[in-house]
Amino acid sequence: MESNLIIYEDPSTFLERLNKLNEELTFSERLEILREIKMKHTHEKQKVIGIMDQDDHGRLLPPPELREIVEYMGPSGEPVRDVKLNNFKPISNHPSGGFFGPKICGENFRLFLSSHPVYINPFSSILGGYMAYFMSYRDPHWNPDLSPPQHLVEAWSKYDIYPGVGAVQHFCQDMQIGFSLGWGGLLRKIRYYREINPQAAEFYDGLESVVIGVQEWIARHVKAARELAEKERNPTLRRNLKDLADINERLINEPPRTFWEACQWTAWYQMIARMYNGSGSMGRIDVWLKPFYERDVAAGILTDEEAIFHLACLFLNDTQYYQLGGPDASGKDVTNKLSYLVLEAVHRLKAPANIGIFVWEGLDPRLLDRGIEIMLEDKMGFPKFLGGDALIEGFMRNGYSVELARERAYSGCHWFAIPGKEYALQDCVKINFAKVFEVAFWEMMSDPNVNPSVEELWSRFETHLRKAIDIVREGLDFHMENMHKVFPELVLDLLCYGPIEKGLDASHGGVEYYNLCLDGAGIGTVADSFAAIELRVEKEKRISWRELAEELKNNFRNEYIRLMLRNIPHYGQGGTHADEWAVKIAKTFVRLVKEKPTPKGYNIIPGLFSWASMLSMGQRVGATPNGRRAGAPISQGANPEPGFGGTPTSLAIAVAAIQCGYGNTAPLQLDIDPTVFRGKNGKEIVKALILGHFKLGGTMINMNVIDKEKILEAHKDPSKYPDLIVRVTGFSAYFASLSKDLRQFVVDRILAEES
Amino acid sequence: MVVFVVKGLIFDIKRFEVHDGPGIRTTVFLKGCPLRCFWCQNPEGLKLKQEIMFYPERCISCGACMATCPRGAHEIRNNIHVYFRDKCENCGRCAESCYSGALQFVGKWMNVDDLIKVVLMDKPFYNASNGGVTLSGGDPVMQYEFSYAFLERCKSEGLHTAIETAAYCRWEVLEKLLSVTDLIMMDIKHIDSEVHYKATGVRNDIILENAKKLAETDKPLIIRIPIVPTVNDSPEAIAAIAKFIQSFKNLMFLELLPFHRLGEVKYRALGIEYPARNLKTPTKAKMQELIEAAKKFVTNVFSA
Repeated sequence: MESNLIIYEDPSTFLERLNKLNEELTFSERLEILREIKMKHTHEKQKVIGIMDQDDHGRLLPPPELREIVEYMGPSGEPVRDVKLNNFKPISNHPSGGFFGPKICGENFRLFLSSHPVYINPFSSILGGYMAYFMSYRDPHWNPDLSPPQHLVEAWSKYDIYPGVGAVQHFCQDMQIGFSLGWGGLLRKIRYYREINPQAAEFYDGLESVVIGVQEWIARHVKAARELAEKERNPTLRRNLKDLADINERLINEPPRTFWEACQWTAWYQMIARMYNGSGSMGRIDVWLKPFYERDVAAGILTDEEAIFHLACLFLNDTQYYQLGGPDASGKDVTNKLSYLVLEAVHRLKAPANIGIFVWEGLDPRLLDRGIEIMLEDKMGFPKFLGGDALIEGFMRNGYSVELARERAYSGCHWFAIPGKEYALQDCVKINFAKVFEVAFWEMMSDPNVNPSVEELWSRFETHLRKAIDIVREGLDFHMENMHKVFPELVLDLLCYGPIEKGLDASHGGVEYYNLCLDGAGIGTVADSFAAIELRVEKEKRISWRELAEELKNNFRNEYIRLMLRNIPHYGQGGTHADEWAVKIAKTFVRLVKEKPTPKGYNIIPGLFSWASMLSMGQRVGATPNGRRAGAPISQGANPEPGFGGTPTSLAIAVAAIQCGYGNTAPLQLDIDPTVFRGKNGKEIVKALILGHFKLGGTMINMNVIDKEKILEAHKDPSKYPDLIVRVTGFSAYFASLSKDLRQFVVDRILAEES
Repeated sequence: MVVFVVKGLIFDIKRFEVHDGPGIRTTVFLKGCPLRCFWCQNPEGLKLKQEIMFYPERCISCGACMATCPRGAHEIRNNIHVYFRDKCENCGRCAESCYSGALQFVGKWMNVDDLIKVVLMDKPFYNASNGGVTLSGGDPVMQYEFSYAFLERCKSEGLHTAIETAAYCRWEVLEKLLSVTDLIMMDIKHIDSEVHYKATGVRNDIILENAKKLAETDKPLIIRIPIVPTVNDSPEAIAAIAKFIQSFKNLMFLELLPFHRLGEVKYRALGIEYPARNLKTPTKAKMQELIEAAKKFVTNVFSA
């Protein structure tokens, strides 16, 4: 049902409070109000949706009369609770009730957009706001006719594999394609290639529907903005609405000409990308916005204050992933004035943001300094730091040129992709190492023909890990074979090199490079488990294998034994046997992954990451020999178990030592209580940690600068600090929006590093 | 040929220490101190011998200590762990079998090779932050042979070295350590020898003499004063120390460290009375007042 609904943020109360009903507003006054409106929406989301164990996003709730609450499987393989628009019902083309294939996906998305209310915030220089996710309507989300082979399904569960089958987005488009063509140009391009590739008619139908859907959606905003401008009395807001109507009227067809227009174009794109399938990848903003910025400044039509304001409005519109700095193809650092303005915009916003500084040998050191200053001052887990040299060198090991490696841009939680050219399934494919360990352990213990030993256990672990990786390979081929028939990448395809030209979805050969992600999770749990057995069972003989098995089976009836196993020199302390085990596990994992591509020939790049899945992955693993109880979280990402008893330096060294070395990351999650710096120059210390970790080969640092007292209080009563922002993993979120389990996890992590 | 390996008795190694000198450092705490300051925050560092620390609240009543103690120093009665310190010979076997953290054996004999391995782990971070190694205690002058051997090794590894000391020792000892030390952080508690004796168990003549001699060297020097209520928390007491050091050419700054009670739990664990139990942490206003008093004589005065 087409929506005529217009949601307008009524400015009157704010204007009254400022006593500026009829007076001009400054950028900073507008930004202050925008922040307040953002908090209002966040509170409402916390009330209505409740728990959000994921990125905050910039989404707004639909008006109450359009709300329908649902739960479904989210893009990272974790269940998501969500609010749908109740005025949109997708058309089905399958007896299951679902809709599959490019044509119907595009058509349904166009219908979805036509049901989506118009949102106008008169204080913002960006028109539009998004309220729902198209993914929520995909039920079932996989075509039952294309069910995967049974042996795969069984093995996925056996090894707790996130196979990536049916996973969406998690690669990056090139915004410059959109900036040069605009929606009208994209439409012409689609129609041109439709003639050349008639076999792909359905694919082009889908793409066309998406573009037309966006154009119609923008057009409704233009009309509403024009009408509202007529009524608005405040001169700043009135002019803003009129400008927005003019700008967007052009943008329905034309490419952006100015910095403001480019920000607005980006906002439309990021909204439909996010709504269509959750994509949050943006890449190198200080590269693709730079020509607009420089042109406008030279022409005298843009001040830095205005540029900061447009950027802030863009970041309020959604919390996309951006990179700052880093080399261009020729090896020259791209850091420029705009890089600093982006930092400044987020600094003034004080809202969750996902912006990474590419720290490499050629980086302008002032950008790093400014980033650290802001991180220490705002304490919002922003920005994050990317280990450029190791990433470039690593990616080249896959056989790519240095120029191509330099192009790869930060565009998601823990990951990179070459904008417009690489399909990657980043963060979608995982093996739970702890589960593989569990399988190996019980297989050995139930084999009457062997005497249990660490050596035997290791050899079985390796065997099962190899099997698990083989299963992943097969699953990835299955995905690549079928995904385009189910739910193609109609939005990302638009701004990639190849899909339109070839008539092929990015998940099906449309782009040039395919480097599929495979991350291992729980390395800390497994490394400690091996080390604990080695020390307590084999070396000291404090307990026997049988006793150990009994205790694990009974989830540690004997607390003494549990503590004995728990209290070993952990992975992460530095120089321990568990540290050596972690290196051995990582090296073996990398070797096994790189033994061969998938049967169909797709390259796989190993990494170590768990996203926020260490809780759900832990729930599926029984008690482990490191004294971890059944169902407790496994270790996060590449980090050790909470309570590992090390320091930020030992942690940084340990994580650097287990890097996989092929251009994907094993991020270091570092929580720092700034009170440890008391009066000392925290900036220099943090900088030394960052540079030290990267010098040792680190690839990414997610840092939380956190007030320990504050976080403990907020854990007791989240409502006390509704706007406290933490970096959970690769993403930042409002602490109060997290589930109690995830809050507990973050708190434990912080306390552990403190002690 | 017999080779003597110098060993040091170490009670803690803290990596990522950012308050014991410049940059990121590793601080090594040596056991043994010639002073007995009644407010000492590291009571486990006072004696030059291994000791048992007992935290009954962590005990899970597993009885492992009972089974390993050759002297019957541990008993579990009705799930309550009783530790007879008078029977204990500090052999450490009980702590080795205790995984709950209730019993801990403080003090580990290490040679320079073992210790340097730990210290070198963070070398990349020392380099990036102009940090290094700090030798603390107790007081590093107590085990000066080991201290010298270790610091000498640090220098040969290219590390920046610092020591924290009360300088209650023969000048020759200090002089020898200086040859392998880049920064000295020295405590002065009081200028009045009688007050000093009551508070620390020793007179301050040697300390002040050594301070003057230190001032004649070209080694960067930081003077620190622990601000302890009833001992030296008056502007006069602080001004007197500031005046004493005002002409020190190598003085980088004077640092005032407020007394705090974080050490209290360790006294209990060692089974000794906490003599400073009635003292309170100086207020911010008090610290400010003392800083002002010191600034009359010394330009650079800081408080942690």
